[in-house]
Amino acid sequence: MMEFKKKVSEMISLWIGEEVAVEWRIDIKGVMTGWCRLQEGTLILPAAEAVACLEGRLSMITAYLSEQAKLKGVREISFHFDLNGTTLTLSIELPLEGARIPSLTHIFRNADWNEREFMELYDIQVVGHPDPRRLFLDKSIDPAAFERLIPYSTFSNGANSKALWEKVMAQNNHTGKEIP
Amino acid sequence: MSTSVIKLGPHQLALEEPMYFRVEVDGEIVVGLDVLAGYVHRGMEHLVMKRNFYQNITLLERLCSLCSNSHPSTFCTAVEEVAGIRIPARAEYLRAIADEIKRISSHLFNCAIIAHIIGQTALFKTVMEIREIMQDTKESIYGNRMDLAANCIGGVRYDLTPESAAYLGKQMERMKGPLDELYRTYATDQAIRTRTEGLGILSKPDAVNYAVVGPVARASGIVYDVRKKNPYGAYDRLRFEVATEQGGDVRARAMVRLREAREAVSLIEQCLADMPPGAIYADTLPEIPAGETIAKSEAPRGELIYYLKTDGTDMPVRLKWRVPSYMNWDALQVMLKGHSVADIPLIVNSIDPCISCTDR
Repeated sequence: MMEFKKKVSEMISLWIGEEVAVEWRIDIKGVMTGWCRLQEGTLILPAAEAVACLEGRLSMITAYLSEQAKLKGVREISFHFDLNGTTLTLSIELPLEGARIPSLTHIFRNADWNEREFMELYDIQVVGHPDPRRLFLDKSIDPAAFERLIPYSTFSNGANSKALWEKVMAQNNHTGKEIP
Repeated sequence: MSTSVIKLGPHQLALEEPMYFRVEVDGEIVVGLDVLAGYVHRGMEHLVMKRNFYQNITLLERLCSLCSNSHPSTFCTAVEEVAGIRIPARAEYLRAIADEIKRISSHLFNCAIIAHIIGQTALFKTVMEIREIMQDTKESIYGNRMDLAANCIGGVRYDLTPESAAYLGKQMERMKGPLDELYRTYATDQAIRTRTEGLGILSKPDAVNYAVVGPVARASGIVYDVRKKNPYGAYDRLRFEVATEQGGDVRARAMVRLREAREAVSLIEQCLADMPPGAIYADTLPEIPAGETIAKSEAPRGELIYYLKTDGTDMPVRLKWRVPSYMNWDALQVMLKGHSVADIPLIVNSIDPCISCTDR
């Protein structure tokens, strides 16, 4: 276990060019998780390269904007990787305004949907994403949906009310043909 | 090469939930795919940040019906981890029982759909009848055929009396013969093999590249099951084999699910035999402190991961989860390429997609 921890820290340090400290926690079942906060947002790219060298897999990306972070003038993203059963979370801070982050899609193919999703929920631009279209939300909904007040029926595409049906019917009347 | 694009929706694909596909075809052959999601998006990650931890258990159970136990159970595990709550041993076994009951029902539903798509109507009916034993079991023990309401922070909300445990044991005994027979049928029936073998192949290198999880990954030879890799609850004390296949095709994915259904019966029996008496939930709960954690489980469709960030209040600062289907959609590009349009419904359903889970 010590060897594994050392290997992970050394590989990330090697790729980003500075010493990083990973905090390791072990739960009552002996399952280990690693937690690391990178100094700059752009470091996520070499850090992800390091994880790929360790044969890791991208599990999930979580973007979030807490009140505490807002007071500091930052927003956060956590990248959760799987290293053969051990979850390693690498977190970064980005500025509140004009947040930009490099895409990980050329390292981890499955970053595609994760990045498209947080781009529509938060005011974060992913640089170099091959297909930065909306993933779930309709184009008509303002960007950064989690950062503004949006009526719930609009946010959920009207799926929980009659709003979606009314929208389809209105479009139907407008075009004069059936919606596929 | 001149190609055209066709749009397919749930009606054409035998899906019970809305997901659309923009398929690029050369004549009858699939050459490209674009998955169009969001038609059942309910903004649930937003809703969970506006509700307290207790309300979120109820909300998350309604995320989807087929894996409805995995969500509240994994969420509760995350809250317990942040707060340092240790749930009673009996509750760990009761959570495993609920999870495995749901796994059997979910896997059988998919195997029935596969039979339906390939025109095996009698087999479809047989599989659904076998599944009905599980539905009756859920209704008898939990009072509901889909949402079990089994979990609470610190343990579970239900217990098994000696009578109900005996009933569950008998129901599992009833499942063994039919499940073995189903496995034999899917493994040897020539008509089924002809339609499923060599179809929708996802090689092991592609499975790694696309980072697929669950039965889809295991059918391509990836030996990964969260219950083994990240033991949680009672799984560190339960014995089972991780079901894997090497074919990576529609048949391999069905075979993995049928073997897992059979293993789940054994896991439930082990739980019934090994479950200690005692409390089913922690007596006192501390306040949930500020912190962050990861919780994982093996849902019927594969690895489910939850990230929870708290600030000391009774509402999450952020609760994010990634469902197994989210990882598996993209791999359809590989599975469908080179196959006929007529094979699309069968290949799409072979990943057992959960659309309510994907969209949230």
